[in-house]
Amino acid sequence: MQKKPDWGASYGELVWREFFKSKLNAICLIFIVFLFVVAVLAPFLANDKPFVIRIDGRLHFPIFTNLSASDYSVFLAAIVGLTQLLLIRRNRRKIEPSIRSDVLWRQITISISVILIGTISAFIFVPRRLDATDYKAMIASGKASGGIFAPVPYGYGRTDLKSREQPPGREHWLGTDDVGSDVLCRLIHGSRISLSVGFVAVGISSVIGIIIGAILGYFGGGVDFAGMRIVEIMMAVPTFFLIITIVAFFPRSLLNIMVIIGITSWTEDARFIRAEFFRLRRQDFVRAAVSLGLPLRSILFRHMLPNGIAPVLVNATFGIAGAIFIESALSFLGFGVAPPTPSWGQMLSLGVSTTGRFLWWLTLFPGLAIFFTVLTYNLVGEGLRDAIDPRLRKAE
Amino acid sequence: MSENDILLSIENLGVDFFTEDGIAKAVQDVSLKIRKGKTFALVGESGCGKSVTALSIMRLIPEPPGEIVSGRIIFEGRDLLSLSEKQMRRIRGDKIAMIFQEPMTSLNPVYTVGEQIVEAIELHQKKSAEQAWADAVEMLRRVGIADPQQRVVEYPHQMSGGMRQRVMVAMAISCRPALLIADEPTTALDVTIQAQILDLLDQLQKQIGMSILLITHDLGIVAERADKVAVMYASRIAEIADSESLFTEPLHPYTQGLLKSLPRLGFSDKRLPTILGTVPDPLHFPTGCKFHPRCPIGCNDKRCQTVEPELREVRPGRHVACWYAPGYERPGDR
Amino acid sequence: MIPTLLGITIMVFAISRLAPGDPVSLSMGPGGQLDAARAADVRKARMALYGLDKPVPVQYAKWLGRVVRLDFGDSIKHHRPVIDIIKERLPITLTLNIIAFVLIYAISLPLGVLAAVEHKKFFDRASSVVLFMLWSLPSMWVGQMLIGYFCGPTFKDWFPPAGLSSNYAEQLPFFPWLADRLWHLVLPVFCLTYSGFAYLTKQVRAGMLDNLRADYVRTARAKGLSNWVVIFRHAFRNSIIPVITIVATLLPAMLGGSVIIESIFSVPGMGLLAFEAVTTRDYNVVMAVATIGGVLNLIGLLLGDIAYAVVDPRISFEGAE
Repeated sequence: MQKKPDWGASYGELVWREFFKSKLNAICLIFIVFLFVVAVLAPFLANDKPFVIRIDGRLHFPIFTNLSASDYSVFLAAIVGLTQLLLIRRNRRKIEPSIRSDVLWRQITISISVILIGTISAFIFVPRRLDATDYKAMIASGKASGGIFAPVPYGYGRTDLKSREQPPGREHWLGTDDVGSDVLCRLIHGSRISLSVGFVAVGISSVIGIIIGAILGYFGGGVDFAGMRIVEIMMAVPTFFLIITIVAFFPRSLLNIMVIIGITSWTEDARFIRAEFFRLRRQDFVRAAVSLGLPLRSILFRHMLPNGIAPVLVNATFGIAGAIFIESALSFLGFGVAPPTPSWGQMLSLGVSTTGRFLWWLTLFPGLAIFFTVLTYNLVGEGLRDAIDPRLRKAE
Repeated sequence: MSENDILLSIENLGVDFFTEDGIAKAVQDVSLKIRKGKTFALVGESGCGKSVTALSIMRLIPEPPGEIVSGRIIFEGRDLLSLSEKQMRRIRGDKIAMIFQEPMTSLNPVYTVGEQIVEAIELHQKKSAEQAWADAVEMLRRVGIADPQQRVVEYPHQMSGGMRQRVMVAMAISCRPALLIADEPTTALDVTIQAQILDLLDQLQKQIGMSILLITHDLGIVAERADKVAVMYASRIAEIADSESLFTEPLHPYTQGLLKSLPRLGFSDKRLPTILGTVPDPLHFPTGCKFHPRCPIGCNDKRCQTVEPELREVRPGRHVACWYAPGYERPGDR
Repeated sequence: MIPTLLGITIMVFAISRLAPGDPVSLSMGPGGQLDAARAADVRKARMALYGLDKPVPVQYAKWLGRVVRLDFGDSIKHHRPVIDIIKERLPITLTLNIIAFVLIYAISLPLGVLAAVEHKKFFDRASSVVLFMLWSLPSMWVGQMLIGYFCGPTFKDWFPPAGLSSNYAEQLPFFPWLADRLWHLVLPVFCLTYSGFAYLTKQVRAGMLDNLRADYVRTARAKGLSNWVVIFRHAFRNSIIPVITIVATLLPAMLGGSVIIESIFSVPGMGLLAFEAVTTRDYNVVMAVATIGGVLNLIGLLLGDIAYAVVDPRISFEGAE
């Protein structure tokens, strides 16, 4: 029988507890989880193909046979992410604190590798099916029967020019856009775009920012001087100008947008990490690590980084909100993802039609989606910041 | 021992702090009398309530979360706790002045030293700007700052810690207060500067004839500089005596413990005696005498555990709050 | 400053050269593929004309040389020198942004001070919520909603949806013309202002709260100063120091926001120019806008640094860099 070890609360646990003292934070986190669920399950929530249908006496499962490569990679990412979170909980209970961060690094590396390999494999191996069968017509004409459809029985790519620019009604709960696609369906699938841009862009910018900030902060002196000049140059051009400049020259695609936002937003993180590393460099535990002859990689990432990462996490949360906003703005202006890929910003731009009519449902609903997503991430960022500072400083 | 000698008298002062975890009684039933021209020291560990007591005299307790809930503070025939804020402001800086522990942060960094002293002068005295500035320069000279004409237009960040504390003193005495409250004025300074500042305070006291309320946790300072001492523990006063008597004949077990734990020349024991246990949490004070869990007598005594001893004058000028102090017990106690 | 300016030009130039394809092929378009031999000749001639056949650093040096003389080439779309177009459009964007800045500071400072003084009371809590939500509102949504609800036949028709002046404005005498201008500016300026002011108020409030708790405020009260004097002469004077450096954060955000807002409201400024240029792949204009945007930003930062040195006696000019 293993006695439950009493290691005391870790820094992460203290922050977690402090964070949840406020109900608002809990509500925001629930909304964020809800968005994730919607994004992951999008093809099951809004799809013009049925789950199951009987054609000529045989059962077909159109939704499942038509899942695309990106669907599979999203499912994989969700499963791996969930597993990682459960592993973190298990780490807290079963793994000794001194090796916990090593174990965590290993787990995170494995998780990310699995996701990357899985995604690439999916894009290579999953055939690009284009099943243009109109299942509803088949049911209507009697060729098929017993179709069970998704809650929002429309696909985001399907256009229906007969029902263009319809206000909300019984058929289309939130109306249709300029080519007749159902707004609710595009909102649901658009969440995938927004969230993936948010996370990938922030992931890229955080990694770049941490590496640069760590090097500048640790080495100081000439390295820091040169590096800060580069950071200043990046910060000199207003970020949005820089982004649209790059967008002007490069082809438009979702991956490009993510990368572009990522490589233009790292300066804040770099400055935070640099400041933290300056502070940590003078501390005794770092000097001890250096005098023991530990490799640089270990000092920077195993010893110093966990102590300095708090402001980066807070900034990352705000960064996700910012990235979602930038993607919406780019798509709104027409520089982002192109239709038929659904994007909330692009839907927003249709709010005033070419004839000057104000299509309020195309302004209100996508706008609300962007607003609430950005709002909750901002609130979570504030909540994290309050949870980290100052009470925990007192506990130290 | 006439009553005219008494400048300020605190009677049964009580201050509570309302926190999210409950009510913390920072000061309970504190009474003391400060005589004119004398130095009164208020000693105790961090958190015992001595700073709160001092701030109460100036009524600078932040009103949420703190609140003065009982008592009177008699000064010049009036109860300071009953005055309006406007009346209180006329007393602050003018009749009663205060200097604080951290000279580094107690001065406003964006104004020159002179501007800050002049602010006090112009507020309380009807003087022209020229006169006020001349006074400021004079004050700086008085507190021992060399080249005051130059220094008066400098900013606090251009001065050392010791010099800043002198500036604080200059600001405080600029209106010749009757009482100067010094809240741990030397704790943040080097030992050599400490002595200089305390000497300065002594000197000014003689020149101006002001009383000093000296808040400190350093018994050494008390021995050298104070006329009368009050020892505080866990929001209450444990003992009041003139400083010589306190050191030669401490009556309260807490004071006795404190003095025993001071290292002394010629002491040959291998280990310094300590007072066992820790200071209680103000949200969860023990019942009865607050010191009883750490007291060699009280930890076993039922009365000490259940009934709080009040502060009593056991001899002329000698107060103590302990059931077992000589002269404490009265008929009807049991 | 100078190295940073050079760095900006290098970065902008690098982006233009790193892009797939080259300006000549793109400007020749698909029609260039029709007659292969002749197309190759034309291509070679054009490459020589634009200096694209020389190595990259030489290209950069030539471009930089022209930029320094404010020669950004010609706009492909407008067929005019880029610098002329910018000269027309820049003042408009500057006007918009300066008005917005003034409004932001004028509203935020008192609001932030009031919120800090009323800490934890109703005004503070309510305004915190409202400000937070304002800060999270996407500007294009706000702009679109404002146009939809206040500028059109569907709901209310209080403001003009586009442009800087009405069509008949040319014929008006000065004051009515000014009034007409201002009427057109209300909504765009509002959109530019609201998020900056939400952010700044929060910062002012936070700074004031910190300063109100500071030791020197306790000293000031101990001297007998009244509450208002303590708040304004002492706490506030210290609080505005960090607020000035916020210019460094606000300015680029507002310049970026100009792109969105000018597009929505059809205000003919630099932002709209950038939008048009990116849409029509007008490369000379894009590079010019990026460079000038960077320069403007740097000027703003420099002004902020100077103001900071003036306001904070702890900083000397040498340390301001």
